[in-house]
Amino acid sequence: MTLELEGISHRYGTETAVDGVSFGVASGELVALLGPSGCGKTTIVQAIAGHVHPTAGRIRLRGQEVTDAPPEARHVGLVFQRSTLYPHMTVEENVAYGLAARDVGRDSREAVVSEYLGLVAIEEQRDAYPSSLSGGQTRRAELARALAPQPDVLLLDEPLSALDRALRERLRDEIARIQRETGVTTLFVTHDQAEAMALADRLVVMSDGTVSGIGEPRALYESPPTPFVASFLGRSNTFPATVIGSDPPMVDVGGGTVRLPRMDGRRSPGDRITCHVRPAALSVRSADAGTAADESEPSLCGEVVRVTDVGRHYDVTVRAEVGAELIVEHTGAPPVVGDRIVVALPERGLTVFGG
Amino acid sequence: MSHPEAVSGGRPIRAPELLVPAALGGVLLVYFALPFAAFLTRTGTANVVSGLSTPQAREAIGNSLLTAPVSTAIAAVFGVPLAYVLARRSFPGKRLVEALVILPLVVPPVVGGAMLLTAVGRFTPIGSVAVALGVPLTDSLLGVVLAQTFVAAPFVVITARAGFGSVDERLEQASRSLGYGPLSTFRNVSLPLARGSILAGVTLTFARAIGEFGATMMLAYNPRTMPTRLWIDFIAGGIDATVPIALALLGVTATVLTSIQRFGRFPSVIER
Repeated sequence: MTLELEGISHRYGTETAVDGVSFGVASGELVALLGPSGCGKTTIVQAIAGHVHPTAGRIRLRGQEVTDAPPEARHVGLVFQRSTLYPHMTVEENVAYGLAARDVGRDSREAVVSEYLGLVAIEEQRDAYPSSLSGGQTRRAELARALAPQPDVLLLDEPLSALDRALRERLRDEIARIQRETGVTTLFVTHDQAEAMALADRLVVMSDGTVSGIGEPRALYESPPTPFVASFLGRSNTFPATVIGSDPPMVDVGGGTVRLPRMDGRRSPGDRITCHVRPAALSVRSADAGTAADESEPSLCGEVVRVTDVGRHYDVTVRAEVGAELIVEHTGAPPVVGDRIVVALPERGLTVFGG
Repeated sequence: MSHPEAVSGGRPIRAPELLVPAALGGVLLVYFALPFAAFLTRTGTANVVSGLSTPQAREAIGNSLLTAPVSTAIAAVFGVPLAYVLARRSFPGKRLVEALVILPLVVPPVVGGAMLLTAVGRFTPIGSVAVALGVPLTDSLLGVVLAQTFVAAPFVVITARAGFGSVDERLEQASRSLGYGPLSTFRNVSLPLARGSILAGVTLTFARAIGEFGATMMLAYNPRTMPTRLWIDFIAGGIDATVPIALALLGVTATVLTSIQRFGRFPSVIER
């Protein structure tokens, strides 16, 4: 692991910002640190960069412990949400600034600057001052400045959050390309799950100062380890169920029996549990037609309470008899509010949380 | 929806939005300008050149031109770091420190001078040691510097602090992460970006120091500086006798102000 965090905790006064966070980033990997604002992401970044000294825990860069080292002794590239280009220096001087500190000779400095300005495609702005750059050029110049000294780790703290949507998506692809071309180990901090899923090799999802889930984006999306991960990575339906047996794992949902692909933890028959399923994994059919066709298919009965046209599909909200509201993504002709309806549950898309 | 009758009642006249504040401000401006104009009309009646060529006047000018820059330099050397700490850190008792910085500004200079006398006067522990060492802290150029620094130094602390406060701390963090220690970061990033405010503070400090009268009177009536000389000329010869020194004082202050502003390339002392 190029970057390792072990049990990082930090308090600001009596306020606990981060509590026992551990994860690693492998060489060349792009990991997204994802969570809502105020969950402690920025404190983690500040701790890795050395601008915050964590109350507890250890940080290792390339196997060397750096927890007590000052920022300048760590090889970490940093890009913040707001521009930190130096307004009294040109783009070239900004990029060369970090090279001068790392003892890159004056002659080779210019070549390195050219190389990185080329990488981020802003050679023409070389002699411009930051105040004359557009939002996208500013981001590119900052990436060049952070990358030029060839840091062990590149930390991007919400680098796209202040930009408008179109520019954000274009730069997201640019960051992916630049990361691929340089192979720099990257920790990308964001509160935007789509951005994180699109960019990252792995996700670290945080909530309330703790890690809520770590894994590949698709795996976390499809079988989230916690209700928080389930709801933060996308829309999530939850409904209550009762355990019937654990081998094979079977649950009772509103009178029907569902066999689950897996069920973590020890559970005994009679335990009340919460099931989670994505709206896209559900389908609806009319209650009177074909109810008898397949009795074995797990399903929930309910009444349509709302139908919303969101363009690509309809969001059909169903109040199920088990006492939960489910949202179903439905294409084709939508049911009508008040219809009695059957929601089919896919076995593969169900995840179970305790309690 | 507007009521048609309200519009048809008379042609609406669009008054300039800033008319009232501009008129009020204008009163103050007139009040500022009037004494200047009145005083300058006096200059014709007095012989400025001969007034300035007396040994007493030349001594006073020399003393002021020596002490005010020294006081300003002392204020900057100790005040700018203090301003930086105040802008960057919160710590227990910070309110108290801030109050202490303001104190010389709100205490009348004469009272400040009296307080300085009780601290470094000839018969105090500090003062007597200094006298024994041959560097008396009262009635000496050193005393003038002490009085000027006490009264004028808050200006550079307050303005520089505002300047450092407006520099985003992340610019410094970026510099540290690019491989620079705290001192190089201060020199490369914080100082250049706060330069305008620091120069404004230095300018204000100098202007205050060279014109310092109250505390200087208490602590070092001798040797004379331009303001204390001016007072003696006034007592002896009335208002016309003060014209040469007063003009010289104005001239020096204006010259230093404009050259610092030109050299520092910032638009205005207040603006920013």
